[in-house]
Amino acid sequence: MLKLVTRETDDRQDFESDAPVTQDQLLARVAQGDQAAFAALYDQIAPRVLGLVRRLLRDHAQSEEVTQEIFLEIWQTATRYDSTKGGASTWIMTMAHRRAVDRVRASQSSRDRDTKIGIRDYDAAYDNVAETVQTRVEHERVEKAMLRLTELQRQAVSLAYYGGYSHSEVATLLSVPIGTVKTRLRDGMIRLRDELGVAS
Amino acid sequence: MTDKRNDPTSLTGAYALNALSAEERAAVEAGLTESESLRHEVTELADTAVLLGRAVAPVTPPPALKANIMDMIASTPQLPPLQDDTTGETDATASVTEIAPPRPASPSAAAPTPPSASTTAPGSTPTPAERKAQARWFTKPAIALASVAAVLGLIIGGGVLVNTMGESQQNNQAADQLAAINAASDSQRAVSEIEGGGTATLVWSGELASAAMIVDGLPALPDDKVYELWFIGEETGARPAGTFTVSDDGRTLRVLDGEMHAGDAVGVTVEPRGGSETPTTEPIVAITSA
Repeated sequence: MLKLVTRETDDRQDFESDAPVTQDQLLARVAQGDQAAFAALYDQIAPRVLGLVRRLLRDHAQSEEVTQEIFLEIWQTATRYDSTKGGASTWIMTMAHRRAVDRVRASQSSRDRDTKIGIRDYDAAYDNVAETVQTRVEHERVEKAMLRLTELQRQAVSLAYYGGYSHSEVATLLSVPIGTVKTRLRDGMIRLRDELGVAS
Repeated sequence: MTDKRNDPTSLTGAYALNALSAEERAAVEAGLTESESLRHEVTELADTAVLLGRAVAPVTPPPALKANIMDMIASTPQLPPLQDDTTGETDATASVTEIAPPRPASPSAAAPTPPSASTTAPGSTPTPAERKAQARWFTKPAIALASVAAVLGLIIGGGVLVNTMGESQQNNQAADQLAAINAASDSQRAVSEIEGGGTATLVWSGELASAAMIVDGLPALPDDKVYELWFIGEETGARPAGTFTVSDDGRTLRVLDGEMHAGDAVGVTVEPRGGSETPTTEPIVAITSA
């Protein structure tokens, strides 16, 4: 007869019973190697990560690939995440944007990104948002803040963030000198910071 | 900062938006160590950029993506925490290179690095706020590379993403079935150490009456032996659920043959090639699902 080894349950049952757990708490458990916590964290934030990555890459298969890389990186580096540096969501979304931009740059040669697509890209940033009340609220706040920028600031920030364009590409797309783009990106972000009430 | 084009103070916006060249990014990160106000601005603008990201409509990922990721992390070691001193954090270059070789994990390596305030000496060492800003924004190219390598290794070794790698149809089916089990609303997962080394991960769904075993680090067997899976029920005893061998990297995914009954445990034994009708050896691992 086979002997049975009791499976290690430890914290896993807690997560399966829908106990409310914050992303920060989950990430702290992930840092201890807790795979169940990782699964719960994934459930909470993967739609935002994939949404952002796909916003930049557009191609769904590539977006999933990059999302996979991002979550693997979250797993590997959660041990080095320091909660005093900002929330889990901030850490993850910053990483996600960076990785998405990396991929955009890496596949740049095959990008079909002429000026027109680039400009449209800026408008498309505001399509079909608001799958939940929270994302609608967050979207509307940003949209409102964006309206406080000059048109050039708004276009430059949108092309850079949502399009994954470098400042030199933005300069080409908008037909302005690169120095001007740098200034607009900084002024635009500072304005957004103030409008959105971000303070460290 | 003699090169005016790379003057970090003019680049904070583009930095937060990831719109810089690698060279300019490095210039900003070098500047972070020198200027408190620069750190402050970069941190705030990066937080602002996150709000832009959170304004994007979420996209629900397909269940298979989670299955792949969970399978990957099950066999991907985590990096040891950075030591809680200032070594390597006093300039950007050191910080970037320091993380390249993963250090051997110490017994306490699984614990997260505690907040630094109490251990940071005054004087030459950065304040917690400085460390925060520095640690936060230095890029980690080595980790990105490691991630890609891990993904590739897992694609090849795990047989989970095999459709992109042209592996056999059978592996494809196993991956699909694993994804289906993972996607089931009652999907569960348990990990157990294997006697003699390695880990076994059992994923199962009562709804689908199906289970899959992922083994990692299992030694290869002589040609005349195989590993055999068993469903073990209190009333039914051990029912054979298929045999498997392990690839060179000791990693295998095997969907169990037959139906899983509620309360079944799953065990693995070593059997003569071709498998046995009843176990002939002690199990190297057994996982209860109850």
